Amino acid sequence: MKILLILAWRNLWRKKRRTFITISSVLFATVLAITLMSMLSGMQEQMVSSIVRNTTGYLQIQDVMYHDEPSMDHALEYGDEVKKAVEQHRDYIEYTVPRIQGFSLAAKDMGSRGVMVKGIDPEMEDRMNGLSSNMVKGDMFGDGDEFAVIAEGLAGLLETEIGDSLVLLGQGFQGMTAVGTYRIGGIISFPVPEQNNTMVYLPLDQAQYFFAAPDRLTGLIIMVAEEEIVPELAEKLQEELDKEWYTVRTWEELMPDMLEAFKAREAQVAIFAWVLYIVVGFGIFGTIMTMLFERLREFGILLSIGLKRMQLAAICLIETILIGFAGVLAGVAAGFAIVYNLYINPVRLSGELGEVMLDMGIEPVISFSIAPGVFLYQGLVIFVLALIIGLYPVRKVFRLDMVSSSRK
Amino acid sequence: MKTVIKTNGLSKTYTNTAVPVKALKNINLEFREGEFTAIVGPSGSGKTTFLNVIGGLDKPTEGSVAIDDVDISSMKESQLFDFRLNHIGFVFQAYNLIPVLTAMENTSFIMLLQKRPKKEMEERAREMLEQVGLSDKMNVRPSQLSGGQQQRVAVARALASKPDFVLADEPTANLDTESAFNLLDIMARLNKEENITLIFSTHDQRVIERARRVITLVDGEVSKDEQFERD
Repeated sequence: MKILLILAWRNLWRKKRRTFITISSVLFATVLAITLMSMLSGMQEQMVSSIVRNTTGYLQIQDVMYHDEPSMDHALEYGDEVKKAVEQHRDYIEYTVPRIQGFSLAAKDMGSRGVMVKGIDPEMEDRMNGLSSNMVKGDMFGDGDEFAVIAEGLAGLLETEIGDSLVLLGQGFQGMTAVGTYRIGGIISFPVPEQNNTMVYLPLDQAQYFFAAPDRLTGLIIMVAEEEIVPELAEKLQEELDKEWYTVRTWEELMPDMLEAFKAREAQVAIFAWVLYIVVGFGIFGTIMTMLFERLREFGILLSIGLKRMQLAAICLIETILIGFAGVLAGVAAGFAIVYNLYINPVRLSGELGEVMLDMGIEPVISFSIAPGVFLYQGLVIFVLALIIGLYPVRKVFRLDMVSSSRK
Repeated sequence: MKTVIKTNGLSKTYTNTAVPVKALKNINLEFREGEFTAIVGPSGSGKTTFLNVIGGLDKPTEGSVAIDDVDISSMKESQLFDFRLNHIGFVFQAYNLIPVLTAMENTSFIMLLQKRPKKEMEERAREMLEQVGLSDKMNVRPSQLSGGQQQRVAVARALASKPDFVLADEPTANLDTESAFNLLDIMARLNKEENITLIFSTHDQRVIERARRVITLVDGEVSKDEQFERD
């Protein structure tokens, strides 16, 4: 075995340029795969983060019935049990965002519209999605304020302005009628028409009073720094809470349609990845084929003088493993350098695309992921690909005609 | 002297050509221990094919080859690999050393594959390199040796494992006169000292003049089989 390792190792050094070209082809394939997959993965992460921040958050603690019957009767009691559970896992939790929300009728003069009334903590909401940056008129309410902030589209539909009064009428907790009149203190704009034509924001305590649900929330949003811990945190929180009353739902459970859309995108990314692997695979294959045909005579001689086919195949395989390992290692290092640079200095998108992304609440940059998984997975895939391609010389060794090849 | 190689009705026909080519036709020969034989004949007469078949590198279409009374023509490939490794030495026209190994390592290579003890292997390789006059080139790689020196290492490698016989396919074809004579002197001496059977294919007159037996092939058939007394 030692002699096979020596032969393989020295063969690599014998024709340094040939070895360098082959390692380079593996390196190039690894860098290409890492850069592209990091970009696709980064954009996916950015999209998930943006959508999650603008909608449900990563996790929500809800009343066990709320998801299936989202009515005020299924608002959860935001008491000691929930607060204690959150406190127990504070290390994983970045911050929490309380919300109470429900459909109501909004009326002004002779006009009325169905609206979504959302009671929020403006400071936490800002931290989650920068809500107040969308203000177009007036101010976002603060501590002790009692006015409403309504969406720009809704303001237009109701022909209302800052300083006008808005009457809200809806269904409160346990059959109570929710009624209230609120001064409009601010107008906020949303890129999505559905939001822009329906949103009414109230301070959390005002909304709880309106819905006759003091100390109740329709959902306590849990925000985390790393998306990966969401499933584990959901399980841990659920263990702390009474299953009969509370449920912890991830963003994937809260937005199944969105999850499907992401899965479809992941499938597209996978197809793209395989096209990429085929392209880089052919690059490596070409180099290995050239290397192989240069050495057929040498192989024929080695077999003639007594080396067994299995031993020669092992030499070829060891060479491929060494080349693949060196190429992948160098490729991961180079790929990391490129991706990290793009991660800290992201490419900003300008023009129409940038504006559309901004409108959607997504930062207009091409994001790159530096998740270790991207580097490990792509490195491993290219290494396995190089090994599979390296099986071709092995196959050739087993079919080689000693007499004719040693005369080439 | 015992018979080392015996061919019986040996024929070889290549069918992978447009017209089948009969490279060997009904060859019946015996080679005895310690013989120094030249297989001669014009190009295409079947010299190399004959060496390949008796060396187990190629299979006969008809007939058989027995080495030490063992029929190798019916052996499976894996058996042939082992048989060649342990019984036959090869010297090729174009030196054919392993470029990444030193002269010492090349000489030891067959013994290494035979899993001989390290000490025995090193002693034998050193002895053989001394015999071929390359004791000062032991740690040198083939690319740093002249053609004649490389062929001497190839001879040392072929003989180091003490095979039953050595097949040499035109070993002097690429050598200048001085190197060729030098190589032939070495081979003749080793043939006597080690009592190893040597069979050459050649059309080099210098080799023919040294051989004690000259077999002439014409169109795949033995046309002459002559014995000579040499010093």
